Amino acid sequence: MPLKTSDVETLVELFGQSTWEELRLEVDGDELLLSTNSHATLDTPATPGTVPSPSAPPTPPPARDAGPAPAARPAHWLCVKAPNLGTFYTCPAPSKPPYVSVGATVTADTEVCLIEVMKLFTTVRASVAGTVREITAKDGEMVEYDQPLLWIEPT
Amino acid sequence: MPIKRLFVANRGEIALRVLRTAKRLGIETVIGVSAADRNSWPATFADRAVVLGPAPAAKSYLDVKLVVHAAHATGCDALHPGYGFLSEKPALSRLCEDNGIAFVGPRAETIETLGDKLSARRIAHDAGVATVPGTDRIDSVAAALGAADTLGYPVVMKASAGGGGKGMFLARSTADIRAGFDRSSREALAAFGDGTLYIERYVETARHVEVQVVGDGTGTVIHFGDRDCSSQRRYQKLVEEAQAVAMPVALREKLHAAAVKFTAFANYRSAGTCEFLYDVAREDFYFMELNSRIQVEHPVTEMVTGEDLIARQLSVAAGDGVGVTQQDVHFSGHAIEVRINAEDPKDGFRPSPGRITAWEPPTGTGVRLDTAVRVGDVIPPFYDSMIGKLIACAPTRDEAIDRMLRAIAAFRVEGPKTTLPLARFIVAHPDFRTNHISTHWLEDTVLPAFLKE
Repeated sequence: MPLKTSDVETLVELFGQSTWEELRLEVDGDELLLSTNSHATLDTPATPGTVPSPSAPPTPPPARDAGPAPAARPAHWLCVKAPNLGTFYTCPAPSKPPYVSVGATVTADTEVCLIEVMKLFTTVRASVAGTVREITAKDGEMVEYDQPLLWIEPT
Repeated sequence: MPIKRLFVANRGEIALRVLRTAKRLGIETVIGVSAADRNSWPATFADRAVVLGPAPAAKSYLDVKLVVHAAHATGCDALHPGYGFLSEKPALSRLCEDNGIAFVGPRAETIETLGDKLSARRIAHDAGVATVPGTDRIDSVAAALGAADTLGYPVVMKASAGGGGKGMFLARSTADIRAGFDRSSREALAAFGDGTLYIERYVETARHVEVQVVGDGTGTVIHFGDRDCSSQRRYQKLVEEAQAVAMPVALREKLHAAAVKFTAFANYRSAGTCEFLYDVAREDFYFMELNSRIQVEHPVTEMVTGEDLIARQLSVAAGDGVGVTQQDVHFSGHAIEVRINAEDPKDGFRPSPGRITAWEPPTGTGVRLDTAVRVGDVIPPFYDSMIGKLIACAPTRDEAIDRMLRAIAAFRVEGPKTTLPLARFIVAHPDFRTNHISTHWLEDTVLPAFLKE
């Protein structure tokens, strides 16, 4: 029984709702790979990464534009994602220095950025100890739920 | 000011319904969805979809600040709340207004005063519209017993803040009141954060009739006729019709006038529904409540008037008024709607989420389907179980019934269990054909027979 388009759509939807990092499926010679790493291929091992958007909205919001495509991220980097939709801020206040910059050393409790919802500011923590390697969200722009904000190389 | 970009703060069929009208009118659209709906039909149909939060509604669709932030950040100048979720939360209307976003619904104060049943009753009195004989707030069993004595049994106890039957109970004796009062108050407190109850005289043989209105916010109200929604289970409507032909025409004209009087008195803005109890024996009607949103059953009104009620709402929100006069509203034919819920009516209406493996809806003249599901879609377990509404319209009620029965027979759904078999049973019932039904008919007569089938 070969995989139908609707089967794939269902799998993608279920995968998107799950906390899984990767799903590999082989049916009658058809191979399917779903991964949270946008750079994963059928030949590479499971890696953490960004959420794929196989059926993303036709006009993706500007906030999703993470700048020029970076080189493939090392497999062990971890991603801090937005806990909800809101405005992303790298600094605690306009006149203050940013919470973290690329190269900064963080513990799991280190505050790394702010998400604002109608003047209600929530700090986001690193949740893993390591070094900040990349900040993908843009200061002052809207981010959506689950959108990658920054990448940390764990120690 | 014309609306340039509309934010849709809802999901499912009503989100798609609103998006379609907005697109037809050349308005850009943005929808805010939960993670569970990021690949849903409304999300792909809108010009842009933004993911508000995770699947649970409390962290996505029910978060007022999140929704308004998303509307503001995506440059929307108007917001349509659909029905359910935040549609009747004054806070949403207020926060939109504070941020320069036109709320496609009533002003916050209107929702507050008319959404509360007790204050709505007081306004009805002030406007000269009859309500069921009843009381103001009742805060003890003793007060309830005294009031019930004055009104005469049976009486019905209701939650001041609520709807959907929560906190509501029927009392035929003092013993019933003693048994039910505290539980009812607790239920109301848990559901609405307000345990206040009141009592009304109970009408034995009642029909649920309602009037669709659209107001411009400055006292002009246009009505779009009436509907009959007497086929209910636990105060949830399953079948709705336009128009309410079981009522004498002269009485229906009074009904329309009462609805217009009440809403005009309140300077009502946007679409709303005045719900009335039709006392069949006395041939009289009583105002029950006002629903300050577009309703699930609005398509039957659209089918018999040829109007697009969402377009009327958007016209008001843009400051252009209702856009039609009462003389422009004409009625033709009869429409019936059945709700398709992903529930098993043979098993206590247990929700039946899951993947739709076959979905072949009927088509043809006078048949309309409002839905947002497609074959292969998974119905998420987090939200309301309604997955569609099937509407049949024909020149006469008899023909509309026949058309509906043919449409249901042709409808192929596989995967989740649905209420379609029950809908067929209701519409095919001889009592439905002769229109001798009441608000208890479904529970007392239809369901027992359906379960034996």
